[in-house]
Order: sequence, then C-alpha cells, then structure tokens
Amino acid sequence: MLSAEGIVVGYRKGVPVLDGVDLHITPGETVGLAGPSGCGKSTLAKVLCLLLRPWKGRLRMDGEVITGFRHDAPAALRTRVGVVFQQPRLAVDPRLTLREIVAEPLLANGFPASGVIGLANRVGLTGELLERRPHEVSDGQLQRACLARALALRPRYLVCDEMTAMVDASSTAGLVRVVREQASDLETGVLAISHDDALLDVWADRVERLG
Amino acid sequence: MTEVLLDVHALSVRFQLGRRGRRGVVRAVSAAGFELRAGAVLALVGESGCGKSVLAAALLGLLPANAEVRGRATMDGLELLGAQEKTLAERVRGRMIGLVPQSAASHLTPVRTARAQLVETVRALRQDVADAPAFADDLATRVGLDPATLRLYPHQLSGGTAQRVALSLALAGDPRVLLADEPTVGLDRPLVEHVVDTLADLSTQDKAVLMITHDLAAARRVATHVAVMYASRLVEFGPAGAVLADPWHPYTGALLDALPDGRFRPIPGDPPELTALPDGCAFCQRCPAMPGYPPCTGEATMRRFGDRFVAAHPPAAIPEYGPLC
Amino acid sequence: MADLVGAWHSAARSRAGTPRGRHIGGRARLRGLLGVGGLLVLIAAAVLLPSLGELDQSKVNYGTRLLAPSTAHPFGTDANGADLLLRSFAGLRVSLLVAALCAAISTVLGSLFGAISGALGGWPDRLLMRLVDTVNAVPHLLLGIVIVALFRGNLWAVVASIALTHWTTVARIVRAEVLSLRERPFIDAAISGGSSRARILRRHLLPAIVGQAAISAVLLLPHAVWHETALSFLGLGLPPHLASIGNILTEARRAVLLGSWWVVVFPSVLLVLTTLATSGLAAGWRDRLVPRRRSELAL
Repeated sequence: MLSAEGIVVGYRKGVPVLDGVDLHITPGETVGLAGPSGCGKSTLAKVLCLLLRPWKGRLRMDGEVITGFRHDAPAALRTRVGVVFQQPRLAVDPRLTLREIVAEPLLANGFPASGVIGLANRVGLTGELLERRPHEVSDGQLQRACLARALALRPRYLVCDEMTAMVDASSTAGLVRVVREQASDLETGVLAISHDDALLDVWADRVERLG
Repeated sequence: MTEVLLDVHALSVRFQLGRRGRRGVVRAVSAAGFELRAGAVLALVGESGCGKSVLAAALLGLLPANAEVRGRATMDGLELLGAQEKTLAERVRGRMIGLVPQSAASHLTPVRTARAQLVETVRALRQDVADAPAFADDLATRVGLDPATLRLYPHQLSGGTAQRVALSLALAGDPRVLLADEPTVGLDRPLVEHVVDTLADLSTQDKAVLMITHDLAAARRVATHVAVMYASRLVEFGPAGAVLADPWHPYTGALLDALPDGRFRPIPGDPPELTALPDGCAFCQRCPAMPGYPPCTGEATMRRFGDRFVAAHPPAAIPEYGPLC
Repeated sequence: MADLVGAWHSAARSRAGTPRGRHIGGRARLRGLLGVGGLLVLIAAAVLLPSLGELDQSKVNYGTRLLAPSTAHPFGTDANGADLLLRSFAGLRVSLLVAALCAAISTVLGSLFGAISGALGGWPDRLLMRLVDTVNAVPHLLLGIVIVALFRGNLWAVVASIALTHWTTVARIVRAEVLSLRERPFIDAAISGGSSRARILRRHLLPAIVGQAAISAVLLLPHAVWHETALSFLGLGLPPHLASIGNILTEARRAVLLGSWWVVVFPSVLLVLTTLATSGLAAGWRDRLVPRRRSELAL
C-alpha cells in the first residue's frame, strides 16, 4: 500500500499548499483525485512519486516509511512509483526520439532497451513513430510515449497527474484503456488525478476530493 | 433566415516545408466551406492536428510565412484571404473578428496589469469611446469579471480569469464575429462550462461565435451548429442537435463514442499525416471499426442533404440537394 | 462547380514592427553564410599565403624598406623590408590560432563549471558562483599582464592569460541554461525513472547546452583576437618570430608617423574583417538556433 498521512507541504515558507492530507492507494485499485485547479492535486502527486519532500507528515510505501526524496531516495524505491505528467511537451527531453524517451528508464536501471517495442505496442505507438522527435508528433502520441515510459519498469503504483488534460477525447479513451489494463493485469495501484468528473466516474474505483 | 456574417468557400491552406516545398507539403486545410450566420455558435471540432487552428489563423491573416492559401472567405463584402495587411490591421482584426486565443495568460503582456492592456485596446479600437477606463470596466462586467480583478498582473490571474480577460479584450472592438481558438484547454470542467456559456451569451441577434475546440462535451453544451474536421477536411456540418444526436459520418460517431459518458472507446489507429493525404475519403483506414454506417463513397467533398452536409456517407432516406459550394 | 477556387497565393505579410516574415530566416542565413564564407577565405589565406611567398621575419632588408603598395607588394612593405601582405596573413594565422585555443579552453572550462554548478544547486552552486565573481572582479587585462609578465614571451602564457579570465562568461550562461532546464518536468520524470544525478547531467543537461556553448565559443573568438592584439601591442604578447597582428601594429606605430599609412591600415582592416566574419557567423547561427527551439509549426 502507498499511503500519505497528514502531508503538509508548500513551495514558499509558511504558505502550505497541502495542509494535512491523507490518501491511500492499494495495489490493483484506481483512486480518483478531483478538485478545482490550484487546490494542490499536482503537489500531492509530486509527494507520492518521491519528487517533493513534505514539510510534515509521513509517506509509507509497502510498510516502509520513506525518508529520502528525489535523489536521496534509492532508485529502487523511486521507480516503484511511475508518473505521467499533464503536459507531455514539457515532460520529455526535446532532443531524444520517442524510442530513446521510452528506453531511458530501462537503460538508467541497467535493463536492455529491447523492451521498448513491447511497451510501445502496448500504448499503440507503431514502428515509424518511435523514430520521430517530440515536435514531429501530436500531444496525444507524445503522451502515449510518456505513459509507456512510466510503465517501463513495471511500477507497483502509477500516478497520472492530469494525464488527459491536454489531449483529445479519442486519445483520452486510449490512454485510460491502457492504464486500466495495467491496473487489472499487473495489480498496479493507480492515482487518477483529473478535474473532469465525468472521466473519473468511469475510470476510478473511488474518488477522493481535495480543496 | 438570418444574415450570413462570414462566408467561407473552398478555403485551402498548405505549408511548404524546406525551400519551395522540397521537404514536403503539409495540407493543413483542404477546400473547407461553411457559413456563419448571425446568432449562431459554430463549434469546429476534431482531433488535435487536423487543421482547425490553421483555419482560424487563415481568416485573420496570421499564418506563418511559408503558408499558401486559396479559396474565399468573405465578411461584410470584404475578401479576407486576399486582403492587404493594412486592411486586416485597421478594419478586420479586433473590429470585425475578435480573437480569443488558446492559453490566454501567455497572450497577455506580463509586465502590465490587465486593466492597462484592456484600456489600451479600447483606445486603439474605439475612437468613439470617450471614457476608456469606464468602458473597460463595463467590458469586464459583461464577461462576468469583477472590475477589481483588472488591477492584477497576468501571472496573478487564474486560468479562468485570464481567459475572461482575453474575452473582454476580444470584445473591445465590438466585433460581429468572435473567433475562440481552444478557449477551454487546461481549464476545470466548471470553468469550461462558464467560459463557453459566456461565449454563447455573446452570440446575440447580429453576432456569431466560431469556437474551435476538441472538447465535444463543451461543443454539445452551447453550439447551435457543429462542423467536424478530419485530416484537413470538413466531413460533417449541420445543426448541433441533429449532428450530435444522429451522426452520419462515422468519424463524428467515433468522436462521440470516445467520450467518457459515451462508450469511452478510442478511435483505433492514428490520423493520416498531413503531408501524405489520400485524394478521397481519408477516414477509410479507420472506418471499418465503425459498423452501422452506410458504405463509403470515397468522395472527399461534402454534399448537402436538407440542412445538413456530409462527406462520403450519404444517408439513404434523404434526397440530395446537390454538392456544397 | 469547381472544387477549388483560384490559385495558391502566399500568406506571407509584413507585420508591424517585424521585417517581412520570409526575410527573417533569409537574413540570418545570409549573415551566417557571409560569416562562414568570409572566415573560410581568411583562414585559407592565413594558412596558405605565408608559405607561398618567401617570408623570413628575422631578416632585415633595407633595400625594400617601407615601400608603398604596388603590384609586387600589394600591401606595401614594413620597416624591416618584409612584404606586408605575407606578414599580415602570417600574423593573422598566429592571432587566430591563439584565439581559437583561448576560446576552446574557456568554453570547455566554463561549460563544465557552469553545468556542475547549476546541476548541484544549493551551497555548492553559491560557492562556485562566488568564485566566478572573484575572477570577474579582477580587471582582465591587468590579470593578463601579470601572467604574461611572469612568463615573458611564451605562447602558452598568452593563451592562459586570456583563457583564464574569459571562461566566467561562458560559465554564467551555461549555469543559467542548466538552472532553467533543471526545473522542467522532464528532469522530474528522469528522477522518477531512476536516473542518477550523473546520468541526468550527461544525458539531458550537457547535450542541451552544447549549442549555447558553441555560440559562446565563436563569440569569444573575436574577443580573444583583440585581447591578444592588445597584449602584443603593449609589448607583453608573443615573441617577434611568432608575430601576431598585435606585434605588427606595435612596430607600425613609428612608421606611420613617417607617412607610411599602409603599415597600419592593412593589418587593421584584416583584424576588423576577421571580427565581422566571426560575429556574423555566431549571430547567424544563434538566429537559426533560437526559432528552432521554439516549437515548430503549431497545427
């Protein structure tokens, strides 16, 4: 289980964005997180992926209390939580091809890059698209590459931070379908953050509200 | 019938990549035709990259330098596509067509307050207004903005407020056509509804709104007419209620199926590259996955049936009025 | 009815405040091409010309002293009777060599310093940046004079005196670039994907700054040429057998008072042309790089 207990965190001293937030995700479960923009959904997502150290509160992953964040956390713990961000254009290195983007976590952890094809097929990126660079593909196609990257190391938890906000309806349906398959096949615990209630209604097992 | 404000006829836009198109030609808009009547809210929908925003940019003469256009777009007897830059700047932009841009906050000058920019716009566009600051407050109120928030700088505005400031800027010159390019991208659902409702309220007796969006739910909420664009071509056009309730073109159906409150089914495959478009129906590669539609005639241009237009999939029971144009 | 109306026409328009759209790219390309072409011609001449003619800078020939430009000596001759055309290009060769060495060393040093400082952040960054400020606080020419005075007449002393004072600019530019990159979500994604600090630096940050660093290097080139010229002009530069443009101009001071204008004009013009060509190249390159970094055509 991935659980955040009494998280207090912000970006400026004395101005907490989150003030005592609790959230639990069990493997295989999809938790929706709803709330207006600016309520701290993305901040909570960063804490859960070990990218932002909370001022107060505790983060526990599979019984273990997390003490280090960002590079202070061991790679094995960081990679246990996959993440997909809202804006695919900003979430990829513009110089790399989609193949290199998806392969990055595999290579960084000493795995062969041969797994890329399977991952790409899984999100529906076909051969030739993989050789292109971010500016040559649409937002939807790029977000699929980001999802493939997040799934590359078979994370036990997956945080989708407004994954579908920048893409059109068809891409949204496609991305969510892949995440759902992942959740049911590999027992992945998913945090689905969105401001679209209609989407969370069909996607999440239960919906938490923030703000 | 109400007056036609904007008449677009066989509008095409292409981009030459490399010098003289040596690295290929992007066909962004192919022979698009529609008319925008007073009182209408026309939603131009389609997947991202289908050429919607290019169409909007072409109407305002805001295309990049490697673009080429042909066709006609007339408003008030003025031919927009061939117009001189001077004419566009002095008569069209802001005065005849107001533009509500995508991601409004980045279209505001970061170092000046919203009020300063609004007042400046009023002064530039409306010589007849004596008291520009009061007029600016009035504009803000019309789009549901508290005039007090105008003293803020763009970075202090939330996404929805920035969008409303952009809307008031677009209204400053009292244009008869409002052109909103993806006005709701990145906004919360309640804010989306607020923004599109405000837009719809602005299309009164003698005004109209052209809303470019990939958000079908927003289009369904306020549009009176819908134009569906796929791979640079319009494939279906007609009254919003009829088109969205009973789509004739399988692509329209597929878009509706992809909505979370529909069947939530992605459209299989990817749209074709705009550099390598087939001559006929471009949807055929993805079409077989959509059963229940009449067979494809392969024809790319739309034909008219009553008050609706559709390409390649003529309904069996309705007589054809002849081709569009 | 016709499927399409009318013929294609260009949508390019002049917009208020900017030159005609198509020409922005064209002008950058022209400037870049002129820069590259000019520099190539100058370098080729500097490499080839001196070895084609007979030039011995250690010899003095009073018979051909201070001859005005003619067909035999297009640039005239200098106070020692050497052909000024050959001598100027030999000097340019030395100047360019010194400048290229300086630019390369400053850029590598500055890029590494800036990238590491930006990537580490926190107190190591503050410490390293104060070091940069300290180097900057010392007047460059003064520091150069001290180094050269300690190791008189040594080419490497001249290179070191310029390189060691000019890497700070590159370091600042590169650090700023790295700091802005560091905040981008793709770095977060890399951390989440298990990438180590070193891997992020190697894979994402350093490749991103190569373009910036290369432009800084090219921009440093003319600066280094002038700096070396200044040192040599002060008599602190290179030894006479390695005469650079600076040395030639020092020697020319006396001759010009006797009415021999050509000994100053031709070497100076060569220096100015080199500077213009290099900065043209750098500016053209930068203009080409910047629009590419913005997202391309938004369809």
